[in-house]
Amino acid sequence: MASSVDSLFVKAQNTTLPKSLRPTSPPPDNVPKHKHVKDLKLRTKLNRQAAHAARSKALVEDAELLLTNEAGKMQVETELERTWRIGQDDIVQSASQEAAKGRRELKLDGGPYRSRYSRNGRHLAIVGNMGHVATFDWQTGAMHAELQLQETCRDITFLQDQSFFAVAQKKYVFIYDRDGVELHRLKAHIEPTRLEFLPYHWLLASVGNNGFLKYQDTSTGHIVAEHRTKLGACHTLAQNKHNAVLHLGHSNGVVTLWTPNIPHPAVQILAHFGPVVGLSVDPSSGGRYMATSGQDGVVKVWDCRNWKGTVREWTTRGGGAELEWSARGALSVAVGGSVNVYTKLSIQTSHAPKAPPPLYLTHPIPHRPLTSVRFCPFQDILTIGHNAGLSSILVPGVGEPNFDSMEADPFENKKARREREVKGLLDKIQPDMITLDPDFVGALAPPTKLTTAVNDTHDIPFARLPRLERLRVQGKADETELVDDDDEDVADGDGDKNAKPQSRMEKEKRKMRGKGKSVKRYLRKQRKNVIDPTAVAIRAKLEKQREEKRVAKAIENGSMEARKPSALDRFRRP
Amino acid sequence: MVKISVLQHAPSVHLPARPGDPTPTTRNLDPLMHPFARARERNRALNAAKMDKLFAKPFVGALEGHIDAVEVLCKKPGSLSAVASGSWDGGVILHNVSERKHIRRIQGAHKGKVSGLCFAQDDRLLSCGVDSKIKLWDASPQDDITEQRPLNEYPGKSAFNSIDHHRSDPLFATASNIVQIWDETKSAAISNLTFPTSTETITSVRFNLSETSVLGSIGSDRTFTLYDIRTGKAERRIVMQMSSNALAWSPTFPTNVLLASEDHNLYTFDVRQLKTPTHIYKGHVAAVMSCDWSPTGLEFVSGGWDRTVRIWKEGQGTRPEVYHTKRMQRVSSSIFTADARFVLTGSDDGNVRIWKAKASEKLGIITARERAAIEYRDTLKDKWKHDNEVGRIQRNRHLPKPVYQAAKLKRTMLDTRAVKEERRRKHTCAGESKPNAERKKMVITEQT
Repeated sequence: MASSVDSLFVKAQNTTLPKSLRPTSPPPDNVPKHKHVKDLKLRTKLNRQAAHAARSKALVEDAELLLTNEAGKMQVETELERTWRIGQDDIVQSASQEAAKGRRELKLDGGPYRSRYSRNGRHLAIVGNMGHVATFDWQTGAMHAELQLQETCRDITFLQDQSFFAVAQKKYVFIYDRDGVELHRLKAHIEPTRLEFLPYHWLLASVGNNGFLKYQDTSTGHIVAEHRTKLGACHTLAQNKHNAVLHLGHSNGVVTLWTPNIPHPAVQILAHFGPVVGLSVDPSSGGRYMATSGQDGVVKVWDCRNWKGTVREWTTRGGGAELEWSARGALSVAVGGSVNVYTKLSIQTSHAPKAPPPLYLTHPIPHRPLTSVRFCPFQDILTIGHNAGLSSILVPGVGEPNFDSMEADPFENKKARREREVKGLLDKIQPDMITLDPDFVGALAPPTKLTTAVNDTHDIPFARLPRLERLRVQGKADETELVDDDDEDVADGDGDKNAKPQSRMEKEKRKMRGKGKSVKRYLRKQRKNVIDPTAVAIRAKLEKQREEKRVAKAIENGSMEARKPSALDRFRRP
Repeated sequence: MVKISVLQHAPSVHLPARPGDPTPTTRNLDPLMHPFARARERNRALNAAKMDKLFAKPFVGALEGHIDAVEVLCKKPGSLSAVASGSWDGGVILHNVSERKHIRRIQGAHKGKVSGLCFAQDDRLLSCGVDSKIKLWDASPQDDITEQRPLNEYPGKSAFNSIDHHRSDPLFATASNIVQIWDETKSAAISNLTFPTSTETITSVRFNLSETSVLGSIGSDRTFTLYDIRTGKAERRIVMQMSSNALAWSPTFPTNVLLASEDHNLYTFDVRQLKTPTHIYKGHVAAVMSCDWSPTGLEFVSGGWDRTVRIWKEGQGTRPEVYHTKRMQRVSSSIFTADARFVLTGSDDGNVRIWKAKASEKLGIITARERAAIEYRDTLKDKWKHDNEVGRIQRNRHLPKPVYQAAKLKRTMLDTRAVKEERRRKHTCAGESKPNAERKKMVITEQT
């Protein structure tokens, strides 16, 4: 009987349960439960969102398994050996044939050379001071364009990829095609000295001998901002890749940070006793550290989150040094006749003051002056521009081994390049989103201290109150997500332990400076035709306060004498 | 000695293995490799919201054929394309929505307005009119429109307002001044269901979709009544502030019923707790004439006297999707198609219009990659809907000027009334007690 019944039921094979009935992974720990929310549906939704976010975070951490490539390294085994004693010949011998191609010398005449790599590290653009410009794919050796411009050229940069490059020539900035065809003469950029391209905003920025910093959108052609630095000619420019802020180094030793939205520098620090010659921002820490070097021979490393003095500083033998930071946090300093490389660890470990960090690698170059140092993005290669051309050296451990194909791929083909260009244009960020802190997007706005209540009572009818006030009156306003920025520790780093904690009053005063007080606004509204006894009372009180302040100030100045205490003071109204 | 290794990228890992293979992609999810990730995602959400509005072309087509205003629409259960419409001139047309053709056209089905339509089993259509007759028609395709005869005729005592068929049995219910249950084989009503104290005209009657012996009806004395066939009487009744015009049972939540009310709102009630509505849907600026649920139970459509069709999400009582056309006058009936993709509306100008339920949906074949992109964009819009710019684009609806001005005026009037009420409460003893919730004000009494 049972077997006949069984034969009626065909065993289902190759079926899948619907997604809602499948067993899900166990909910992650440390997920915030929103117990204070009374509405069940909202609470469930928030809990699910929090669990999903926790799961995604765990997956991102697991995704480190996807990173298959390993960084280079140079390790000494004995106590007596030092890494900086190892020369390029030894490194080239130990490297594979493919990697050894990175060690090359380009002997050119055409003045001191400057170079720039494209974002994926596949293409190199070089410019000599006399006007020799060349762009090529250095891995395959394919030359894209070579021009003899026969005028002073001071800097070169690729635009979004190898298909366009811009040259800062004697009088203007020119944009050329991949094959060297001149496309545009940017006559707004006058006597440019340095160029930078902001890839996510499609902005070309230039500084020049006239002290102007100009931003131009290369997709639409508009000039986005023109800032007068008022600090004279500028010869040093660096970009912070994580917040698109431009760092300028001036000839009076001042370093200024600029965004296209503010007409004055966002930050201005006096860095050196002479002109600032080298400037670079550390990409491996998210733009946290900045290295500057001056004509006074000092190299300083600053913390960009709290400008409380240098993290590290040392003196180099020689004048201004060219600086560049690699993707993994190694700093290269080209000064005098040699290039020194320091690793991230040696810069950040504690040190004797004024002494340079322990050296990782050094390489002498006989042709002075050394005009530029550039790390190749995903390789262990450092390219130095000097008087007689360019030299590329191998520096194990400075290149990022795992790249992301969506961002920059050295092996992209024609189709991928086109797709990436179009997607980059669609995702172009507007210049007004550039701020010192890039994480403000999608964050909650700080709570407004302005309220329509006067002395904690609302005179306005409930139906006309703004929404947040209505919730507050009902007692339903949820203020748990609001984090008071004043109480949070803003800076984490070495320097903040000495900071005097500001009093809450001072912080509030500074925040509300320039903003109209709610009382004044209320009075302004009531001023019209209605004679309101409360308004009159408040006005009288304000007048009295103002009078008292005036008297106090006058007494301070000494123009008025303070009232001498008398026996009749107890009858005076306060 | 010293260990040296220099970084290299193996071309075999990064280049395609054979010509014609896709290039292998490598990912590094370290946030340092992706600067401006949030700003870029917000940009994509903004573009997604804009594209949504760019491609929002909800009007698909119009089905013509009626001479006078369309009064009632009914879709055939179990079919995606068959829809019947009845109009004021007494004509009934059975449309094939996908081919936009007439399957059958019955001119002069009734003398006077066709007030109710419903489908019976086996390809048959029931219609009732103000001429106090119910007629059963054959709904199979036919080309000629010569004099057509009904399969059966059921005479009644007074003008009928509505008709609805039982889910499985050969029974149907009609609404006139009483609710009557008819058997298809008998020529007189088999039972009358009334509330003992009622003297009203019943305007609409509907069977519940899962508990098939339960009926709901709405009447001209501002009531909503529940009946059970098995007991043969009315079970419960609520009296509301204003009368309702249409009634729809939820297909996925059997105890939920949606009422389209004269006071410009729609209300959902849970029949187990009829004292307060569960949700109030405010948006129309004139009486809501018709409502219908989507087969998913997550959305419903309402057509109003203000010449707009609004598609609401269940649970979200404001800011529905609004469809309007200059040529569409008062919307008297609206239904969702069985695949939840289209909405059909019948209006006073005599046309039955087909609209998309999702205005920017692509109707053709969607490839897998396209579908993935659409899903990604939908998730982005949902994630960034609280952002000012993205939310503003998503919430914005174009309204015809008269509707916009009416909404503004209504808002002002309601605000002033609320302010006056508050001032009264502040300065009189009425303020000593807490004000009533909006939901509780709606139902006056509940009678059993």
